[in-house]
Amino acid sequence: MTPIWLGLLGLALALPVPALLARSTWPLRAPRAGIVMWQSLAVAAILATSGAGLSTALWLVSVDDPSPWRVVLHVAVLGVGVLVWARFWWAAWTVWRRTGERRRRQRHLVDLLGEPDGAEPALRVLRHETPIAYCLPDRTKARVVVSSGTIDLLDEDGLRAVLEHERSHVRSRHDLVLEGFEFLRAAYPRFLRTDAPLHQSQVMVELLADDAARQVGGVKPVAKALVTLADAPTPAGALGVGSAAAVRLERLRDPDPSNRLVAASLYLFSAAVVVVPTVAIAIPWMVHAWQVLLER
Amino acid sequence: MPRLGELERSVMNALWDAPAPLTVREVQEKLDERDLAYTTVMTVLDRLDKKDMVVRERDGRAYRYGPAVTRDAATSELLHAVLDSAGDDRTAALVHFARTVDPSEAAALRSALDEILAMDDR
Repeated sequence: MTPIWLGLLGLALALPVPALLARSTWPLRAPRAGIVMWQSLAVAAILATSGAGLSTALWLVSVDDPSPWRVVLHVAVLGVGVLVWARFWWAAWTVWRRTGERRRRQRHLVDLLGEPDGAEPALRVLRHETPIAYCLPDRTKARVVVSSGTIDLLDEDGLRAVLEHERSHVRSRHDLVLEGFEFLRAAYPRFLRTDAPLHQSQVMVELLADDAARQVGGVKPVAKALVTLADAPTPAGALGVGSAAAVRLERLRDPDPSNRLVAASLYLFSAAVVVVPTVAIAIPWMVHAWQVLLER
Repeated sequence: MPRLGELERSVMNALWDAPAPLTVREVQEKLDERDLAYTTVMTVLDRLDKKDMVVRERDGRAYRYGPAVTRDAATSELLHAVLDSAGDDRTAALVHFARTVDPSEAAALRSALDEILAMDDR
């Protein structure tokens, strides 16, 4: 039964569990722990799915008199397991390369168009009235980009807050966190996946960057800059994600946003989601597999 | 390499400002005040060529270099990549602070902001 249990667990962790968790807002109260939770769910899903594939393979070679429907079921489990594994590495490779290329192109453009200053990571000012502020993360060649429109719109403290927010993304390599979830999303077939981990993590890294920004000049400049820029007109084609702004303001409104209880439960849950299936299903199966191999 | 990067910017600006493609010699003359060696300008143009930022065409024994994209097209390419948050660029550039919100959302944001601004400074 191991392949079926692991297969079901892999499916549950890929779709219904993330979808349910994404509906609750409490993981957003502890964004760092929340990201860890999404990561461990991802690891557990991948482990369960590949474990299902492995144990199915063993069952198929070791069973003596299989009934046809069990063979069909096991082959299906094996197929999904192999598919997810192969797609995960393929996705990791293609997403990684594509983002790298796109970032390089954008950095070249930004370096030619934007005015440099001595700051670290390098800041580039783009001459355009559209208010934007973003970063191009990289280990050594990161850029923080703001438009002249942003500078015109914000007061000095607001600009400082925005720059600190972006620098925090660069420093903490939030791009790597999000890329991991992109790989995962690309690994599962379309009907077996949810965007929840990626979307929730996108909001969570924003919350963490806001936390860093408020350390520098307090809450008010961050909140003011956030609302000013969220409200500013952007060209057609820009998509509204106003809810993220609301969630971020909610956290800024809290004088002490760190929530130890939520963080502790999230960490506990994260550990359990990886450890419990390993102890309950994977280790007994490994013992069983060892015995089967010895008997042959 | 901040110096080379800075030179690339100057050379590119010279190409953008010129009405027609330029030879290495002409770029060198345009950047007269910087007193650059001919080979330096050539190196910088080669680097820009590798980055697909210039196009070159043979003109006798030399090449003429022109910008691969106009200044405006380059700016709008950047803005598009950044603002088109529905696209794949979500992780290429972590984008923030540039979102359209509808009027009711904007009102909710403003009232939340007013509450934060009314809080006592700690």
